[in-house]
Amino acid sequence: MKKLILFLGFLFMFVLTEAQELFTYTEPASNMAARTFALRMTSTFMPERPSAVVNTHFNPEIMIGFTKRWMCHIDAFISNRAGEWETEGGSVYVKRRFYSVDNVHTHFRMAAIGRFSFNNSNIHQEAVDLNGHNSGIEFGLIATQLLHKVALSASTSYINGTENVGEKFYTKEKMLNRRAIGFTLSAGKLFLPKSYISYNQLNLNGMIEILGQTNVQSGRTFIDVAPVIQCIIKSRMRLDLGYRMPISNQLTRTAPGGGLIRFEYNFFNAF
Amino acid sequence: MRKIISLLMVTLIITTSTLAQVNKVTIQASGLTCSMCSNAINKTLTTLAFVSQIKSNIKESEFELSIKPNAKVDFALIKKKVEDAGFFVARMEAQFVFQEASIAQDTHLEIQGSQFHFLNVKPQTLNGETKIRFLDKGYVTAKEFKKNATLTKLNCFKTGKSDVCCEGKHNLGMPLYHVTL
Repeated sequence: MKKLILFLGFLFMFVLTEAQELFTYTEPASNMAARTFALRMTSTFMPERPSAVVNTHFNPEIMIGFTKRWMCHIDAFISNRAGEWETEGGSVYVKRRFYSVDNVHTHFRMAAIGRFSFNNSNIHQEAVDLNGHNSGIEFGLIATQLLHKVALSASTSYINGTENVGEKFYTKEKMLNRRAIGFTLSAGKLFLPKSYISYNQLNLNGMIEILGQTNVQSGRTFIDVAPVIQCIIKSRMRLDLGYRMPISNQLTRTAPGGGLIRFEYNFFNAF
Repeated sequence: MRKIISLLMVTLIITTSTLAQVNKVTIQASGLTCSMCSNAINKTLTTLAFVSQIKSNIKESEFELSIKPNAKVDFALIKKKVEDAGFFVARMEAQFVFQEASIAQDTHLEIQGSQFHFLNVKPQTLNGETKIRFLDKGYVTAKEFKKNATLTKLNCFKTGKSDVCCEGKHNLGMPLYHVTL
């Protein structure tokens, strides 16, 4: 099964014609345009193990491009994981693009990121997830290579989970296991249109993302693969459909896989 | 005083101020393939006051800006807008309408208050619609800028500002555009 997924992944990367780096589960090193903001609504549907009860997370998000180099995301985490809908926290994510080598239709870029998350839910898993489960901070680097035929992006980050709001880490083990290294690898392609004529053409993109984390103390790792289909509408709206599947799951998570739907609207020259 | 007068005279002789209008600017942006990125550039270019219309070629990342009649074009601002959208200018060409404008290698032409330093051209007089191509850093790819350095040994090409090497030695440090036909 793993080999099949990898084979399909490579096939996906090389058969098609144009590159695409508007990734869903990760951020590319490129920034959004200066003086632009975007609104995002993301929902994830994650079946809990072993009960199979689906946890639904809803993340409203605003993204702001301040300058050509600096941008940020501010989001809120709402979920029904505890049985009823609760606002569990939020996060601020800041990205600075610091390196660019561009040519027509190609580029190599690097960016540094920082994230601060807070969360008031109970800590229920060994993996540290600043996207709706844990309070903490994250620092990392992203490198993105856009070529004519493929966009590849890799990132690594240091994640330090802290005590969630209103709750302590409730075991000694959890206190020790709060530091982790995150890593990602993403590839993206454009399916449609075959040839660009206007900004009103529907774009259909496909991506495969590998998402992983290794706990510094325990050395345990999870690795997920997440295929994504994305529509770009009128060159300013995005609709993403993704599904995250664990392919290696040593690091405990209560709901490791599931679906994602996201809508994004960009406001250019907004301020 | 005599020095100042002679300097002014030199300036008058070798810097030709000419009446010329820009009616079109074409740019190619680098570093993008998708229509949303292209649209980010397109939208930011629409904020330029001297532009009346933009035609975009998404596939080639090209933008043709029609210039309002008699408007003064700020080429550096066009470059800044592309960079603010997160990309770079790989090529910029402007279509001027010249009237008896004399040019030669390493001579300046003052148009709409901006200095244009010509490179890789034979002595000639320009009349009517003529395209000129920008050669400075930020107006071509990094690779082409290195290649263009062979066109002149003058220091002003490296800095993009008028230097002691420039004719007349006036307005030191003033931004200038290095261009060719």
